[in-house]
Amino acid sequence: MIFTTLEHILTHISFSIISIVITIHLMTLLAHEILELRDSSEKGMIATFFSITGLLVSRWIFSGHFPLSNLYESLIFLSCGFSITHMICKIGNYKNDLSTITTPSTIFTQGFATSGFLTEMHQFEILVPALQSQWLMMHVSMMLLSYAALLCGSLLSVALLVITFRKNIDIFCKGKGKNFLILIKSFLFGEIKYLNEKRSIFENTSFLSFRNYYKYQLTQRLDFLSYRVISLGFTFLTIGILCGAVWANEAWGSYWNWDPKETWAFITWIIFAIYLHTRTSQSLQGTNSALVASIGFLIIWICYFGINLLGIGLHSYGSFILTST
Amino acid sequence: MSSSLLLNLDKTLFQALSPPLFSISNARIFLPCRRSGVGVVGFKPRASRDGFEAEALPESKTKKKSRSNGGSSKKIIFFGSAPPPLSEERGGGAGNGSGKPAPEGSSWVFLRRAFKRALAVLSNLPLAIGEMFFIAALMALGTVIDQGEAPDYYFQKYPEENPVLGFITWRWVLALGFDHMFTSPVFLGMLILLAASLMACTYTTQIPIVKVARRWSFMQSAETIRKMNFADSLPRASIQDLGIILMGSGYEVFLKGPSLYAFKGMAGRFAPIGVHLAMLLIMTGGTLSAAGSFKGSVTVPQGLNFVIGDVMNPNGFLSFPSESFNTEVHVNRFYMDYYDSGEVSQFYTDLSLFSLDGKELLRKTIRVNDPLRYGGITIYQTDWSFSALQITKNGEGPFNLAMAPLQLNGDKKLFGTILPTGDPDSPNVKGISMLARDLQSIVLYDQEGKFAGVRRPSSKLPIEIDGTRIVIEDAIGSTGLDLKTDPGVPVVYAGFGALMLTTCMSYFSHSQIWALQDGTTVTVGGKTNRAKLEFQDELNRLLDKVPELVAVDQNSNG
Repeated sequence: MIFTTLEHILTHISFSIISIVITIHLMTLLAHEILELRDSSEKGMIATFFSITGLLVSRWIFSGHFPLSNLYESLIFLSCGFSITHMICKIGNYKNDLSTITTPSTIFTQGFATSGFLTEMHQFEILVPALQSQWLMMHVSMMLLSYAALLCGSLLSVALLVITFRKNIDIFCKGKGKNFLILIKSFLFGEIKYLNEKRSIFENTSFLSFRNYYKYQLTQRLDFLSYRVISLGFTFLTIGILCGAVWANEAWGSYWNWDPKETWAFITWIIFAIYLHTRTSQSLQGTNSALVASIGFLIIWICYFGINLLGIGLHSYGSFILTST
Repeated sequence: MSSSLLLNLDKTLFQALSPPLFSISNARIFLPCRRSGVGVVGFKPRASRDGFEAEALPESKTKKKSRSNGGSSKKIIFFGSAPPPLSEERGGGAGNGSGKPAPEGSSWVFLRRAFKRALAVLSNLPLAIGEMFFIAALMALGTVIDQGEAPDYYFQKYPEENPVLGFITWRWVLALGFDHMFTSPVFLGMLILLAASLMACTYTTQIPIVKVARRWSFMQSAETIRKMNFADSLPRASIQDLGIILMGSGYEVFLKGPSLYAFKGMAGRFAPIGVHLAMLLIMTGGTLSAAGSFKGSVTVPQGLNFVIGDVMNPNGFLSFPSESFNTEVHVNRFYMDYYDSGEVSQFYTDLSLFSLDGKELLRKTIRVNDPLRYGGITIYQTDWSFSALQITKNGEGPFNLAMAPLQLNGDKKLFGTILPTGDPDSPNVKGISMLARDLQSIVLYDQEGKFAGVRRPSSKLPIEIDGTRIVIEDAIGSTGLDLKTDPGVPVVYAGFGALMLTTCMSYFSHSQIWALQDGTTVTVGGKTNRAKLEFQDELNRLLDKVPELVAVDQNSNG
């Protein structure tokens, strides 16, 4: 009983804090950036992280096993992973680009997890024999962290693609109401922040060249940032898959079974390996690599949800249809 | 190279640099901050960038002066005695071909040329990317098409009259071996091709890149430094201070005369080679596993035994039986643990290994996730079944009734048996049916099929059905064991370890910084291969820390 109350309190705290954070983001989009507001949104992200972690830890204590045995818990962990990604990249001293991706992702995953759709899953699951291993902690947490980081990174790439694509459109509709269009776009992509920052510097330059230069800079930043975040996620993914392979060698009798989930995790790995390779060549960078990352975005969702929806293979736990091996 | 000096913090710089560049020893005042707000982002549109840089720098005269000096910078190099350090070891890999003449004649030359050409083709990046895409697509297809079914299944699922997506029929599926995708020649061929590409790329691209990166190259012209991705110039600064500050944040710093070279994160350059080698190691291990392993699976009732060699089947042409196949396995006990809700929490099998002369070698209770390993053989707990029910009927017995698995949809198990009452030879035998989901409780039905009661084997509580008094003495389970030997595992694990380590290391970014002292101006340029944003921020931060020289004595010795 006390646990249910605690869980309610924690989910509500994290959910409302993150809503406030998103509101702050929207406000900074519309108005001049206020430093305290940005600070408080950072603090809000940290508070969210702690309440989600508190939720997971309390589940761990009350259920007696690592809280990653069903979809609800894995979604909560995923949203925790988003906030971890956010904080890791804050250490790298980035500007505010990533938080426009991580905060909505956190709230969406959390909202989905706590929505009525999955209520029957909020109870504790018993652990089937195959899951009773220390590897559960390592493998599943690494996989979910990698999903979180890779999703963030590929969303950045999607944003890059959208911006580039819109730029191309813009060339066609030259002339009519351009300033208005630019303003709209600026609102859409959170560019106004930089607009405010850089306005003083660019006062002398013409508006058009400013816009192109600014846009170039933004896409570059997105490009670099998504590369960095995807590399991080790729590292986690590698560790996660390999831990899974070692675990499979303990539990199923072979380190690789070509189980559908395994196969799709490997496909994800290959897609992001392709992404990293496209980064090494100048000619393939930019839009091409962003395209690969966007494919990766879809593949992650197939790997995370699609396979479980089909309910095939050995990884049938943690899905919508709850079955035991 | 010998004249370049590796800076050490504990060494005093000025001693090391015997002819001092400027008389800086006491003409310097350290200021906490160099100039504020010139965190210039170094992006490509040169015109605009230079535009606002000039705006931001207060002393455009200094800048101009340094520019003009930059043109004649060759004269300012004071220590021209040292040869340009790095161009001597050119072409380690590339020079191979012409290095040794081929006296064996044209066929040898032709082979060599073909080899080189193959290398060039294989190390082509778009080809490698295409291979990876193709493999990913094949794997995706392998999860879409059901694997390992009988041909009839594919005849029905992919009929010729109504092809899936307009062209996929069973002919395609079976001819290309897509019914067993992960062992099909197409897939294995692609993997081999990818392995070849990995090797070729490592040899022709990665190793030369690392060789270049390892050299310490000083830059002698301010122009080339300014053309870097990140470039900035510090008026009234000293390159030694810059060196110390760079060292403080983890850079390896080399200083020779007016030029400085610093790098950090060399591991990030080596790691991709390691990743490729680890992949190759894993592939080798996988091949070894496929070619040299034995597999077997057996269901043994509690109390019985089997010889390992009898149940093992070779997997490939390199599978050779080992000594330890002549070991007998005795199942001492098989039991399950249950949760309070009645679901199985764990399966346990108590196993003893005996040598053929009857000596006990090892005894262990295995469970899921905790296999037994002996002499290269691993025994896994994978399955279970209900072997027999031991009952006494009207005080006679005990009898063993064999339990038969009953087919159910879903993956729940159900076992059943019947105890005949009356004449067992008559055509329509009637009897008492007993059903069980697990070893815990047995459900009994009478001759009419009506529910009679539930008994636990442990309780020894008798039950009366149609005048027959039945006591369920024991439920005998049988354990499902998987056995395997896999010579590839150590190799694969080594590959796993290496891959984890090198992927983590690949996250590091190899950053290089060049700087040139030019009068009182230090021109700094740098590049990095991965963390471009962090690098810019870091360098801006570091450059802000460089103290400004006030009242520099302009009569330098040089």
